[in-house]
Amino acid sequence: MVELIVSVAPLALAASTPLLLAVLGELVLQRSGVINLGIEGMMLVAALTAVVTAHHTNSAAIGFAGGIAGAAAVALLFGVFAIALRADQIVTGTAINLLALGATGFAYRELLRRSTELQSLPKAGALPMQLLAWLAIPALVAVALWNTPFGLRVRACGESPAAVGATRASVAWHRAGALALETVLGGLAGAYLALVLSSGFAENMTAGRGFIALSIVIFGRWKVKGALLGTAIFGFAAASQYALQASNSGVPYHLLLALPYVVTLLVLAGVAGRVKAPESLGRQDL
Amino acid sequence: MKSVLTGFAAAIAALLLLAAAGALFGHAPREIFAILLRGAFGSRFAIEGSILKTVPLLLTGLSVAIAFRAGVWNIGAEGQFIVGALAAFLAAPFGVVASLVAAVLAGAAWASIATLLRLWRGAPEVLTTILLNFTALHLLGWCVNGPLRERAAQYPQTDRVAASLSSIGSLHSGVLLALVAAFALWFYVERTAGGLKLRATGLNPSAAEWAGVNVRATIARSMALSGALAGLAGGIELLGVTGRLFERFAVGYGYSGIAVALLAQLNPLATILSALFFGALAGGAGELQRSMNVSAAVATLAQATAVLVLLLFTALDRRRRWSS
Repeated sequence: MVELIVSVAPLALAASTPLLLAVLGELVLQRSGVINLGIEGMMLVAALTAVVTAHHTNSAAIGFAGGIAGAAAVALLFGVFAIALRADQIVTGTAINLLALGATGFAYRELLRRSTELQSLPKAGALPMQLLAWLAIPALVAVALWNTPFGLRVRACGESPAAVGATRASVAWHRAGALALETVLGGLAGAYLALVLSSGFAENMTAGRGFIALSIVIFGRWKVKGALLGTAIFGFAAASQYALQASNSGVPYHLLLALPYVVTLLVLAGVAGRVKAPESLGRQDL
Repeated sequence: MKSVLTGFAAAIAALLLLAAAGALFGHAPREIFAILLRGAFGSRFAIEGSILKTVPLLLTGLSVAIAFRAGVWNIGAEGQFIVGALAAFLAAPFGVVASLVAAVLAGAAWASIATLLRLWRGAPEVLTTILLNFTALHLLGWCVNGPLRERAAQYPQTDRVAASLSSIGSLHSGVLLALVAAFALWFYVERTAGGLKLRATGLNPSAAEWAGVNVRATIARSMALSGALAGLAGGIELLGVTGRLFERFAVGYGYSGIAVALLAQLNPLATILSALFFGALAGGAGELQRSMNVSAAVATLAQATAVLVLLLFTALDRRRRWSS
């Protein structure tokens, strides 16, 4: 067992890096009282824009910036509907996922028609992003949320937006700030997925990672430590799945593919009822 | 009346945005519209194709509409569609009726997993239903690559299903089933006590509870009904159209159902029109892909823009009412 854990550790960390970024981003946003189901679509769009920019500039670093830009376009749309217009957050997120699926599917084929070379991409170093995701960003998020006035107000927006309004601080702007943070992390996640983990774009390549991220936020009780722990456990479960695939264990390949989703379901079933969400999460009034 | 106009306006806006997206990549909007129209209604064959695509959309649209009316976020029509088709395949040797009943029960059962997780464990169904979609998708992948793979073992698909729906011309009797389902559901929601409880639960669960509605039972019932409709859609698609199961069997019919239901503003009768619109659009998008090599994903793009435009209208309308 210990041997297995040690042997899959590098793979577990590498493969769950985009997931962790998404979890942290969604954690910040949900702390402000907004649930973004559209993070799946945000990562998908970021994956495509990252591939396009990396291909044209021949720089992986600019590719990551391109991913953030793509995520920002999606976030702008989500913010206008869910924050400014106070439309239903679940419906907005679902529509954004459909939009991302349709738009990337359509645009990718159009782009391929022009340059079939879209799959030749600069090599991206995995290690810096992994260190960033597993050490620097969690620390930053924790400090920002729990040790700054901005973080205090963001969390207050999630618990009692009326109280924030009474201090004459803007609930909408704090939520927009939280969304901006999620945008950066979601953009990096999508770019990592395409540039490091898969070396290219593929239709619907996020394959539900956004939804798994949302589940891990719940599992981690909206805390950074919980997010790290949840993602690590999940990463090890997923990596053991690859190890099982490679070792010819006799478990059919397609059932192994279902494993991450079943594990997430079990995790949700195990903890969801016993944790307390931010009081105002997902509510339309104020 | 006003809501019908809003729906039409959203549909038109979606088409315009689609043309704009095409123009962005150098396709003349006129050409896009001409091809969309030809692919949707240009020939007898095209019209039949559009209707065949309307049927699953209508049923998954009804599935989503009933759940959302009850305030339950069933995003799982895609998975319920798949398990419905799987059950229909397995039960087909016992006849068409048995096969469809199996589809209905399987869809309801798959959705009820999410209900159980919510009512017993407090897991949000908006996530569990999506996770169940991926689970169903890989379950189907395993079946068509493993135990249910065709005897020739050439492709990852099943042999032909043992039963099929009776045909009406080149359509199948599932068209009628779907229409009957729409009217029956409208009657149930708008004209029965059960439907009243369902709507009350959706509008305000705690008020409904105070008024004596068993909210937990209503949620469980709506979710099962919702899953049953999506499962039926899968069964009909198998027995009436594809005749086989394969990995990409569902092609997003479940997710599209969300757009269908929302454009119809969750009204079962309006869902017929909304499904027809998106069915025709899917037919047209297929033609765009064949003749211009434009991805048929534009249909999904249009579904999403229609929903967003509709959301925009509703939000602006609410603001206006607040400020006046």
